[in-house]
Amino acid sequence: MTNQAWAEPYKIKMVELIKMTSREDRLKAIREAGYNTFLLRSEDVYIDLLTDSGVGAMSDRQWSGIMMGDEAYAGSRNFYHLRDTVEEYYSYSYTVPCHQGRGAENILSQLLISDGDYVPGNMYFTTTRLHQELAGATFVDAIIDEAHDAESEHPFKGNFDFDKLDALVSEVGAEHIPYVCMATCVNMAGGQPISLENLKQLRAWCDKHDVMLVHDMTRVAENAHFIQRREEGYKDKTIREIVYEICALTDAATMSSKKDAMVNIGGFLAMNDAKFYEKACGLVVVYEGLHTYGGMAGRDMEALAIGITESVQDDHIHARVGQVQYLGRKLRDSGIPVVNPIGGHAVFLNASKMLPHIPQEHFPAQALAAALYVESGVRSMERGIVSAGRDKVTGENHKPKLELVRLTIPRRVYTQAHMDVTAGAVQEAMERRNEIKGLRFTYEPEVLRFFQARFEQID
Amino acid sequence: MKTIIEPHKIKMVEPIKLTTREEREGLIETAKFNPFLLRAEDVIIDLLTDSGTSAMSSEAWAAMMRGDESYAGARSWYRFRDAVKDIFGFEQVIPTHQGRAAEHILFGVMVLPGHIVPNNTHFDTTRANIEFNGGEALDLPCAEAEDLDSDFPFKGNMDTAALEKVVAENGPEQIPLIMVTVTNNSGGGQPVSMANIREISRIARSAGIPFYIDACRFAENAHFIKRREPGYENTATIDIAREIFSYADGCTMSAKKDAFANIGGFLCTNDAELAHRERNILILTEGFPTYGGLAGRDLDAIAVGLREVLDEHYLDYRLLSTRYVVNHLLDAGIPVVAPAGGHAVYLDARRFLPHIEPLQYPGQSLAVELYIEAGIRGVEIGTVMFGLDPHTGEEHPARLELLRLAIPRRVYTQSHMDYVLEAIGLVWERRREVRGMRIAKAPKFLRHFTAEFERV
Repeated sequence: MTNQAWAEPYKIKMVELIKMTSREDRLKAIREAGYNTFLLRSEDVYIDLLTDSGVGAMSDRQWSGIMMGDEAYAGSRNFYHLRDTVEEYYSYSYTVPCHQGRGAENILSQLLISDGDYVPGNMYFTTTRLHQELAGATFVDAIIDEAHDAESEHPFKGNFDFDKLDALVSEVGAEHIPYVCMATCVNMAGGQPISLENLKQLRAWCDKHDVMLVHDMTRVAENAHFIQRREEGYKDKTIREIVYEICALTDAATMSSKKDAMVNIGGFLAMNDAKFYEKACGLVVVYEGLHTYGGMAGRDMEALAIGITESVQDDHIHARVGQVQYLGRKLRDSGIPVVNPIGGHAVFLNASKMLPHIPQEHFPAQALAAALYVESGVRSMERGIVSAGRDKVTGENHKPKLELVRLTIPRRVYTQAHMDVTAGAVQEAMERRNEIKGLRFTYEPEVLRFFQARFEQID
Repeated sequence: MKTIIEPHKIKMVEPIKLTTREEREGLIETAKFNPFLLRAEDVIIDLLTDSGTSAMSSEAWAAMMRGDESYAGARSWYRFRDAVKDIFGFEQVIPTHQGRAAEHILFGVMVLPGHIVPNNTHFDTTRANIEFNGGEALDLPCAEAEDLDSDFPFKGNMDTAALEKVVAENGPEQIPLIMVTVTNNSGGGQPVSMANIREISRIARSAGIPFYIDACRFAENAHFIKRREPGYENTATIDIAREIFSYADGCTMSAKKDAFANIGGFLCTNDAELAHRERNILILTEGFPTYGGLAGRDLDAIAVGLREVLDEHYLDYRLLSTRYVVNHLLDAGIPVVAPAGGHAVYLDARRFLPHIEPLQYPGQSLAVELYIEAGIRGVEIGTVMFGLDPHTGEEHPARLELLRLAIPRRVYTQSHMDYVLEAIGLVWERRREVRGMRIAKAPKFLRHFTAEFERV
């Protein structure tokens, strides 16, 4: 088999019917949704590439786990299964389940951050940064410059820039840095991996400055795939071994298991420090649920434990990333500007290049996502100036260098034919791009505005 | 026919592991004498809570398979929203991963330090969420609730004279909302009458204070009204439920109780501006407003459960099967809160174990003994749960010292309940040997969940 072949290592056991719509239907639907794809009804969507979060197809084994749920309020056997699986596959000694990733971020931020702290990370993520800010910290971007350049072919655009970290220490002092937030397969950079070499250096840097290293691990298995393919010395290691090695270099982790682990709901906070665990148990009960269920049904903890074991199989990840690469290459070959190299969970369209006639303050990526829906019923997500929000002090728009539309591929859900339709839809939008108009806000929420904002077209 | 049968048959079973008394003595010691810290598989009859532990129907399981897991605008969301609106009638519906998240969001936007929130009796997470925001959670139970033997039909009522006084003294500036919990869980699962709800609503509205209902067990409460309150005999329970909510401005709901769901909850209001602020917090801590941290399948299961729970045959069976246990205990002379509530049996630990000081937690001791005797898990509702003031750090005996045996919906049979009755009888016979407890280690908020105990 060639490296390019990526046949799915599964067959289809259950299907969900999808509705076809007309262009007129879609024009009406997007207007009613205020040109925000988040506000569309799912039944009006043909191919849903809004997110890969919580939308994966579970396996028959995971569904049997759903039937094996122990719904006892305290001490459910599914919790112990989950805890043991996290330790076996991800190395962390203690697991605090949470109803989803942002629940874990909330607890982590509240426990570790003091007012006036700084949290460096390899690029921001929307909810993560907001939790840090609400706890009193300022987020500091310490990713390498190449990450902000959509054209750069750097193989590990998720890497840290140690000059930026050192500069932060000399400016504010290590005592005001409670932890470094390290994401595997950096979402906002285009699903770009961090190398193990860089991570080892980061571990040494954290030890030197006595700073905790926290792992945002929602797509760790996809990151491991890129290490296996691109980093010297790892081609004979299994995904499972690489995932474990990544985790073992860090002190704690937040996980949205709705991605890698292919469940519809759930997440956790994990750590090695017993005192930290004890404090987390005290807080999880206030926000999430008792520490042996954390707001998850027993059945969902069981499906998660099984999903973790499936997520680190080489065949699975090979097909998963293979499908994303297939769509990305197809678009790139037809002259569509995409973020390079193509990431693990999504293809990111470079909206500022596709729509050079729309200035960034007229939200080209938002406009492109809306146009793509009208063209084909494909739902995507803006990842540009709208998502970046406003500076918490000055109130000015953050102006990210990357103005992108994300085509996120749910795990095990769509076929090659669906990818072909998607590529065709983007090509058609590209051909009609001069007809696409910029947008302005008619409603702008104060926080995480991209979720609920409404727009109108600028004529 | 006098015999009450379940209006359902069993479609799926979960095996129970049996343990010996010797094994249980070791297990409860390992769990630091806190039933919350036991492994579920070491429990024979799990009466720790009726929350999230019920048996869903084949219809609800079928709905689970239809779950639309789309991140935004899923079909499941619209089915859920319509089911909630049909019964509760509020304009704004906000899904949350469970009830405490709805409380957290509500109090987060409404309660400031120094505020007072009156309730008939606050439950544990409600109280904690108010205190967490710096407010005071004020209990105003009716006088009859104090007398555990009184057979007053609505012992869950709020003392409305006391409420009027609190409102007059503090005014709407200090009271962001008035709540009532139906049924009143901490007070023995006792119902609140429609007359009482109407009166609370009148007081709240004339003072301009929003009135919220903690709706966890709304269907059980509505059915008590049908069976006990003059004038409602011929009203459908669903219409009684609708009337209850028509007097309120909003509600919080844990769908893990009267919707048979294993996970889920929601928050409702008629105030669009408030809902807007609530959704901003929702997005941060729970999830996007059309899923709120719930899988699509769980939204669907709740939509089905809300319809099923208002079936009057089910509610007759539910209330009568709880009364079955309570009446047998009364016949045996064992101190228990009477009349029977809806979802649980409450042993009066203060009278069961009069030789144990309140600050040596007789309710906790009774919970431990019942587990050792027969592998039955209950929960203390007394000084461990409510005795510590988190602001002053002082500990006082709680108003009531109860052991709650909550009955999961549609899970256990009459034989299981007969086994429970026998076990309580055996502990009753050897009650004088039972010793008190002391706390070895406990967190500041919601200490009962994770506290560690030693025998005195």
